[in-house]
Amino acid sequence: MKTTLTLIALALVCSGCKTVAPMLNDAVRNMSVSDVQNAAAKAQKISEGQREFTQPEEVALGSGIASNMLGAANLWSDKKAQRYVNQVGLVLVAHSERTDLNWHFAVLDDMEFNAFAAPGGYIFITRGLLQSLRSEAELAGVLAHEIAHVVRKHHLTAIKKASNRELLGEAVNAGTAMAVRNNKYSGALTPALAKLASVGTEMYARGLDKDDEFEADRMAVVLTARAGYDPYGLPAVLQSLQTVDPNYAGLALMFKTHPTFQARLDLLARVMTSDFDKFEKNQTLEGRFKSQVAAPKAGK
Amino acid sequence: MKKSIAACTGMLIVMGSACGAELAYTVRPTEMKAKPFTDAATLAKLAGNSKVDVLMRQSSWLQVKADANTGWVKMLSLRFDQMGNAPKAGAGNSNLGTLFNIVQTGSGGSGASTGVKGLKIEEGLRNPRPNPDALRQMEELDVNDAEVKAFAKAGKLSPSTMAYVPAPGAN
Repeated sequence: MKTTLTLIALALVCSGCKTVAPMLNDAVRNMSVSDVQNAAAKAQKISEGQREFTQPEEVALGSGIASNMLGAANLWSDKKAQRYVNQVGLVLVAHSERTDLNWHFAVLDDMEFNAFAAPGGYIFITRGLLQSLRSEAELAGVLAHEIAHVVRKHHLTAIKKASNRELLGEAVNAGTAMAVRNNKYSGALTPALAKLASVGTEMYARGLDKDDEFEADRMAVVLTARAGYDPYGLPAVLQSLQTVDPNYAGLALMFKTHPTFQARLDLLARVMTSDFDKFEKNQTLEGRFKSQVAAPKAGK
Repeated sequence: MKKSIAACTGMLIVMGSACGAELAYTVRPTEMKAKPFTDAATLAKLAGNSKVDVLMRQSSWLQVKADANTGWVKMLSLRFDQMGNAPKAGAGNSNLGTLFNIVQTGSGGSGASTGVKGLKIEEGLRNPRPNPDALRQMEELDVNDAEVKAFAKAGKLSPSTMAYVPAPGAN
């Protein structure tokens, strides 16, 4: 029966697939009304899963992933730093193409060096990476890279590619329904959406396509320049991280999910031409950074 | 080496610039300039893979020492050394060294096998578990437009327009 349903679903989705039609007659003869209804519902879900996510659906899914991210690491208890990271992030967002999203930034209480972006505008940086930085321009470079992933919907596209269409269809419908019910997207997700968020979260341990990472780097240096920051903040962070012993456990996830620092720097070197010379006097804001982000304490 | 780091920290305050790690290599033949400007006098021509000591950064330029010369090279002409340059406690002026030591030794310094203390994200990604309370806390931190504008103004951030740059080789 499973084969039959799949056949029907296939036929309903791509109506006009001539090779399926003769087999379909036999299959339909053996079916009950509820079988047909189920098959139609499944086909409906599959075709739903092929369309683009609406913005409320993207936000609902992103909030589910963000919730999982916060299950993996706590929020850092330093409220001043949390607020500061939001301020820097929102300055950058104002120069992005998605000012209509409700963006949220958070520092995760974890010592590894990393940052993450979930669909819908949820951005994370680890305390380890934050405290290793030297200026607001460097922080802006890291956040701008993550903002670029959301602007280009890199994770959303990857999740779509990695998920089965039936689950996608079920989840995005649920997402729509929930978005209509409330304007806030946090809290309990429907089972299908939670499942999709779970699939999406596991993807963060594998990483995006390398080209998505390179694109986010290229966009980040422009976003920081637009906002008035020294655009060399991001390359400076990548060079600093290059000095860390690559066997250091706090870099393991970064290496698994990103191209090498040198590959990223080489590509930035090719695009950061004399066009960027006019930003030489842009702000780096070391002083403000140090006043807002406490230095790490040995033994703590 | 100690001296160069001290000089770097001192200049950092004056120039308001960040300072990289100590050792780096040129990734291609590179001109060393007297000042951090493209049209400044050329002090020396460094071959590819030349070893330099990095003193400080000023936007896209790094001040470096190579042989008898001290001058400026474009930062993206340099590759930093990895293994030979693993951060030591108190090295340079970034916090990388301190962080590295915290994680390597563990918070209480209670001995061996605490090498991965404070690193649990990957495990959490592989076995996702939602934390709606923390999510709510994240969403409730409200920074409004007026605050963002004031923040940008206080930082003297002057915006400009610029299109995204295409991938190398793309048209």
